[in-house]
This record gives sequence, C-alpha cells and structure tokens, in this order.
Amino acid sequence: MTSTATAPPSTAAIQARGLSRHYGRVRAVDDVSFAIPTGTICGLLGRNGAGKSTVMQLVTGQEFPSSGEVLLDGEHPVENARVLSRVAFIKESQKYPDDFRPKHVLAAAPSFFEHWDADFAARLVDEFRLPVNTRIKKLSRGQLSSIGVIVGLAARAPITLLDEPYLGLDAVARQLFYDTLLADYAAHPRTILLSTHLIDEVADLLEHVLVIDDGRIIIDAAADDLRGRAMTVVGREGEVEAFVRGRTVLHRDRLGSIASVTVDDVTAADRAAATAAGLELGAVSLQQLIVRSTTVDDSTGTAA
Amino acid sequence: MTTISIAPPVRATGTSRVLANARLIVANPWTTLTLPWIILGVIFVANWCIWWLIARNAGPGVIENATQGMAWSGAGFYLFVYMMVVAIQAVNSSFPLALGWGSTRRDFSLGAALVWIGLSLVYATGFTVLGVIEEATNGWGLGGVMFTAIYFGDGPWYVRFLVCVGLLLFFFFVGSALAAAYVRWKANGLYVFFALLGLFLIGAAAVLTLTGNWPWLGSGIADLGVAGLVAWSLPVSAIAGLIGWALLRRATPRN
Repeated sequence: MTSTATAPPSTAAIQARGLSRHYGRVRAVDDVSFAIPTGTICGLLGRNGAGKSTVMQLVTGQEFPSSGEVLLDGEHPVENARVLSRVAFIKESQKYPDDFRPKHVLAAAPSFFEHWDADFAARLVDEFRLPVNTRIKKLSRGQLSSIGVIVGLAARAPITLLDEPYLGLDAVARQLFYDTLLADYAAHPRTILLSTHLIDEVADLLEHVLVIDDGRIIIDAAADDLRGRAMTVVGREGEVEAFVRGRTVLHRDRLGSIASVTVDDVTAADRAAATAAGLELGAVSLQQLIVRSTTVDDSTGTAA
Repeated sequence: MTTISIAPPVRATGTSRVLANARLIVANPWTTLTLPWIILGVIFVANWCIWWLIARNAGPGVIENATQGMAWSGAGFYLFVYMMVVAIQAVNSSFPLALGWGSTRRDFSLGAALVWIGLSLVYATGFTVLGVIEEATNGWGLGGVMFTAIYFGDGPWYVRFLVCVGLLLFFFFVGSALAAAYVRWKANGLYVFFALLGLFLIGAAAVLTLTGNWPWLGSGIADLGVAGLVAWSLPVSAIAGLIGWALLRRATPRN
C-alpha cells in the first residue's frame, strides 16, 4: 500500500483512496476517495468545518492519514521532495513571520518555485495594490490575503491548492483574482484545487466539483453535469407531488396550494415530462444545489 | 499579460531546496543581522559611559579592581537570548510557510541548521574581533570588559571564538527544539518538556545528594573549565537539533 511504484500509470494529479483523518472521535475526513485529473480546476466546496482544509493538508503531506492514502502524481506526498517541489498550498489563514513585510515574502518565495514568474508577481502587486513595504502585522485582512493570492498565482506550481485564499478581499479584488486565475491557467495549464464557500462566484471557473460535508464527499462530478442536474418544479401541490414522487427531493417550499420542490438527478426526458404536465421549471444554481445537498433535510423550512 | 511560457529552469535540487529554506529564515536581514549589532552597539556605548564615569571619579588603583569585577559583565549575554528567540520565531512561523511552499520538513530543518551555523560563525567572529580590540586597547582605554568576559574563558582569542560558537549553537538549537515541541503539540508540548526537564534536574540533584557527589560535580566542572564545558555543549546542541527534527517530522502546521 505504501509502494511508490504505482501499477497502472494514472493521469490523476491528486488521488485519494479511502482517505480518513480522525482526531479522537471526530471524523474530520472520513473514508474519502476522489481523483482530480492533471490540468483541471477543481472546486472543493463545503461548509465551514466540513473538512476542506484537512483534505488539503492531507493532500500536501502536512497532515497524516489515519487510514487510506493520498497520491500526488502517483506518489505519497509526505516528506517527498520530488512531488512537493511541484506543490503550492496557499491558506487564507497563513501566518507570516512577525518581522516580515510583503517584500520579504516575495523575496523568499521564488527559490521555492521552479516556475516562479517575477514579472507576473510584480504586475499582481500593482493590480492588488499591495503595499510591499508595510509590516505584515499592519496589513488589512484583504491585503494579507492578496499576498497569498499573488504567491499562489506567480508560483505557477503544477499542483496549486488554494484554501479560501481571498477572505477579506473586496468584490473588485476577488473578481480580479478569478479573472487572473482563469487567464493564467489558460496560458499555463496546471492542476488547481480551490476550496471556497463563495460557490456562485467561482462556479464558472470550475471544471470539476467536489463537495464535502461532515468529512465525506457527497458530490464528485463535472461542473457541467452539475449545472443542469437539479431543477425546481413549481405548480399546484398535488401535481408537483405527483411528479416528484420517487425522485431525490432536495428541498420543498409551500405557499398556499403552490409547491416549489427542488429535485436532483433530472434528465432531459424529465424536463419534457414536467413541461407537458404544465409545471413550471426553475434553474438551480450550483450554490443552491450544494446548499440544498449539505443542509440537514427539513422539508418545510428555508435552509441556511 | 505574460503569456509566454517560461522554460523550466534547472530542476530544483536538494541543495537548492535547503538553501531556499535558509533564505526564507534570513529574508529580513534586519532581524538576524542588523538589529542585534545595533542593540549590542547601544549596550556597548552605555557600558563605555559607565566605565568613563568610574575612571573619572576613581583613582587608577580602583580601576584595576573594577576591571576584575567587570570580568563578570553580562553585557554581551543578551545576544545569546536574542538568537534563541530568533530560532523559536523561525520554527514557529517560517516552518508552516515553508511547508505551504512545498518544502519537506527535512529540507526546512537542514536549512534552519545551516542558518544557525552561519549566524553562529558570524557573531562569534564579531565577538572575537571586538574582544581582540578590547584587549589591545586595554579595555577601550578605560579598563572596560564586555567581549572578554569570564564566560568566554580566559584563554587566547581562538579559544574565545570557539566558546562563542559553541554557546551560540547551543542557544539556536535548543531554541529550535523548544519551538518544534510547540509546533508539534502546542502549549502541551512545552508543559511536558519543562516537566521532564524539571524531573531530570531534580532526579540528578537527588542522585548527587544521596551519593554525596556534589563535590565531584563541582571539581569536575572546575577542571573542565569554560572551554571544556562548551565542548560538552556541542553534543547537547547536536542532540537538540536531532530532537527538533524528529519533532517536526510528524508535525502539522496549524493556525
């Protein structure tokens, strides 16, 4: 199981098999398996405390599995310089040495990354308006985040993990981050795993989506498949209930005799049938789908 | 927009990864190389003023006496504590950063060790040069003692140099081992560490008392002399370095 000679040549940049991390009785990550193909942008979505950061720490060899394994380019990451030298892991909560100014971070980072692009880093410093000479302690939340974002992008690491990297960034800076990420990813393809709870903001970036809830992966699908996967059916309660019977119901709303029910796993034939039955169909955004999937089922209330 | 694809430079080697970690720890040279000398300079000037006051208000015979007393000057001691703090800070905050940037724990530990050895040589060289000047100028013209204090031994300059290197290494590596215990187990790690250290010292004291071996210890230390003691600190520093690495090997950075 710990052999580094992987039998079938795998194209997965990141692969987890039965991966678990338990802290006493807390199952932070519980029997998780997934594969992220090389050269994709994958979203790791979930609520706070769902296990996103622990998964990322396991992937980067910072945390040790309780059972199962994780492979980067087919190799175990723990203390493995060959694969880790291709990895950048940027955390929103990253601490920096107390005496540092951003310029010290930007001076130290390049020697860790083979593909570091200094011009790109300089351009990002301008665009994010990062004051490079201010002591890190005095930076705002957003400026602190922008250091991580700049390092994470300019590093051009073949495997880049971004753990909620934009906390405190304003809407303009976040958009700048998304646009830059997408453009640079197109020019320099690499594998990116982005954890976030701002799902709708990143929905268009993502090619693949992993949703983790309570330590378990509950959705592992191509983003395109997810976009059309769920729908909201609106109509008279009786007719709606008749239509959704036997289907996976994610959410129910009632207003008088009108019911609005969100159902999962919808096919084109289902849509046609619903329309024929005189029911109204509504699109379900990725965020809604995930919110509905990760909320404790309450068939009447409005979920968080 | 930088759309040109950059040619991959030479594959990152083990050496370059160790050096990257060393560079991270000294990324702000103000902390590791500039500020300590400034503080040392201020302490020196303050001491010099005191020596001057003594020289001015006391007769020449008194100075001789005062110089003897000043051999016990602890003015230079702050540097060693400062460097211990540097080591603690580096392991506590640079280690998580380095791991995020794809370093192994091993490369970080080696990079840190490289910095500790380098800084020990730099500061020991400075202390030795200043000590030689102190001797040559007969205590900066005033019979003062700061860089030839008794703690560095009463031997020639090269013995003082080695003593100084040994002391610095001790403070650096013990500092990093403490910080590694903290990174690994947070405050609990330090409680356990100091509890064990306390138990060890009490146990050693008990053994010495029960076997009546205190005089043996005392004369042993006296026989060793400062240089001998510091020579014995080298294996202790090396063990602290290994303990630090062993702790970091299974450590997970947490914020």
